Amino acid sequence: MTTLELDSPLAGLSGDAYRTAAREWLARNAPQQFLADRAGYTAPTVPELKRWEAALYRGGLAGIAWPSSYGGHGRTLAEHLIGNQEIGRLALPESVNSIGKELAGEAGSDLAGLCTRATPDGDGWRIDGQKIWTSGAMNAQRCLLLARTGPVSDRHRGLALFAVRMDSPGLRVRPLKQANGKEGFCEVFFDGVYVAPEDALGKPDEGWAAAIRVLSIERATNRMYRAWRFENELRHLIAAAKCDTRLAALLDEADYRQRIAATFVDIEVVKGYVEPAVAALVAGDSIGARGSLMKLHWSEAHQRFAALAMELLAQASPDAPPTVRNAQRHFRDIYLQSRAETIYAGTTEIQLGIIADRILELPRGR
Amino acid sequence: MTDLDPAEFFESARRAAASCAGGTAAEQAARLAEDGLLGVLAPEAAGGLALPLRFAVPVVAAASGALLSLPLVETLLLARIAPVPIAAALVAGETIGTISWDCAVDACETSDGVVLDGVVGRAPGTRDAGWVLARLRDGRAALVATSAGGLAVGDADGFDLAVPEGMLRLTGVAVPSAHVLPADACDGLIVDAEVLRAAAMLGSAELCLAAAVEHATNRRQFGKALIANQAMRHLLARQKLQLENLRGVLNRALAPNAAPIAARVAFAAACQYGPAIIEGAIQVHGGMGFTWDLDLHRHLRHLRMLEAHGDGRGVRAAIAAHLIDSNAA
Repeated sequence: MTTLELDSPLAGLSGDAYRTAAREWLARNAPQQFLADRAGYTAPTVPELKRWEAALYRGGLAGIAWPSSYGGHGRTLAEHLIGNQEIGRLALPESVNSIGKELAGEAGSDLAGLCTRATPDGDGWRIDGQKIWTSGAMNAQRCLLLARTGPVSDRHRGLALFAVRMDSPGLRVRPLKQANGKEGFCEVFFDGVYVAPEDALGKPDEGWAAAIRVLSIERATNRMYRAWRFENELRHLIAAAKCDTRLAALLDEADYRQRIAATFVDIEVVKGYVEPAVAALVAGDSIGARGSLMKLHWSEAHQRFAALAMELLAQASPDAPPTVRNAQRHFRDIYLQSRAETIYAGTTEIQLGIIADRILELPRGR
Repeated sequence: MTDLDPAEFFESARRAAASCAGGTAAEQAARLAEDGLLGVLAPEAAGGLALPLRFAVPVVAAASGALLSLPLVETLLLARIAPVPIAAALVAGETIGTISWDCAVDACETSDGVVLDGVVGRAPGTRDAGWVLARLRDGRAALVATSAGGLAVGDADGFDLAVPEGMLRLTGVAVPSAHVLPADACDGLIVDAEVLRAAAMLGSAELCLAAAVEHATNRRQFGKALIANQAMRHLLARQKLQLENLRGVLNRALAPNAAPIAARVAFAAACQYGPAIIEGAIQVHGGMGFTWDLDLHRHLRHLRMLEAHGDGRGVRAAIAAHLIDSNAA
């Protein structure tokens, strides 16, 4: 793998200097029409999103903590956190890249029960089977794939991880229309898809451990900007409400103030998970099951917040200004999207099970 | 002092609190003083350690878990701001301090101090306290000896069985000027009290959750352990989530670069999660949880009064006002 020569404006900076440079870069480069809390917001197309992601990368704000030998910026998670905080402060679109969620097979999120098979084929592998809930597959060039090399009864054993080329012969993608009208997840069909040996990640029996590591990191660090994005959304809601006489009056009601404060506390709780997780990872510790606490909290907290925003904005005046109409559309999207957040990357019930088993270490009981 | 570890203070406080639980408040104060735990925040001139607030947090958490009747939050804070002779007596466990969290007191200036008239409410442990700090209407605060002339102790509110709060009526109580504290000293004290109350709630909630886990593990119903039921496992997992949510924001409030709002957030989170965890623990215990013999109701009563001392609803209103007022239309 060739080390890329990156000329990021953030190279060599750390701490407050890194934060200031990141903030300034975003102020100069973030496309104003992508900012969902601005009046001129237009939903970006996939090509636009990819161009923005590439710009973030060149600016030093994507692939922050990836090793430089794999094309990343080779910084620590401390810079990853700062970069994500600054990205989260702006109402920018979600990243087109995703990890972890691609791992689920036709057994839903029961990774140990997946059936997609990988059989040796010369130096490489041949993949047969079907995947579902593969996010962004219709736009992806690569897909992280967990496939079975042994019998299903092996459960956790005999699973291998691959980075499959999406233009491979025999691979077909069918996007799934979601409850919010968008197409984010896909079904992916593998019909004798050949995977070159260099696209197998680790040894054939190491797939399960790698998948668990990916999922625990996903729960703790992927889209680390969430807390700061939620805070931005809350500030957007308040700012929009102030623009309408009816909503401004509601903002003065004691009960709405109590719920706004509870939302802010919820957001601060998310930050209370992110920062120690980064410190632990920087110190060489693993996140492990603790990622489940954060994932369970943020996903449910975001649903509570989205429901509050929907309820509040629904009471706007009929002649409310465009900023309020824009906010209504934005928070309806968030409300619908948030229904998925307690499902993907391990459902609420899965997280509760992990907390019971691996954090509280409750005995099974007979 | 940077080589000290707050976690060691928790262990030390836990042992000391366990050894004196059930004693009188005076006995508890003497026992904690033996281990130097009452001087965590007090200045060195008063025999204290003058440590940052994060060292008091584990002490308060451990004491709350043991349901001590000593008004520890108030004694620790008072030892930090009181004149040295009084602070030294508090650090040594020779007297107990409390703070009124809801006063209506007027001060009349005299040549050598003030004369106070009014009512001092929401003061935990009043019956055992030698000193009470009362906020005056003008923002200052006065340190009043509970033995002072003109001071009548009202009936204690019986809801909190651990640290019953009381009411004092002041009629022409003379206080020397050395015992009158400026308004800014009181403002910092209120913020720190919010953090320490959150710590107390964490300590109680953690202990009650542990009791719930133990009960669910050992109790058998319908031929199997309670813990074998997924509904029970998920309920306990949710309580654990709430506990760690609280711990996270409390730690954020203790960070050196914490935002001013962080203490309020920690207290608001404690008011939300602390009682909920204990209510959940009562539910897990079933009928046993509703008996007088188990301490769960004592913890719940104590936490609800801590919420009242800090005005949980008012704190949430202040958080919302901070957000709304700082946000442009």
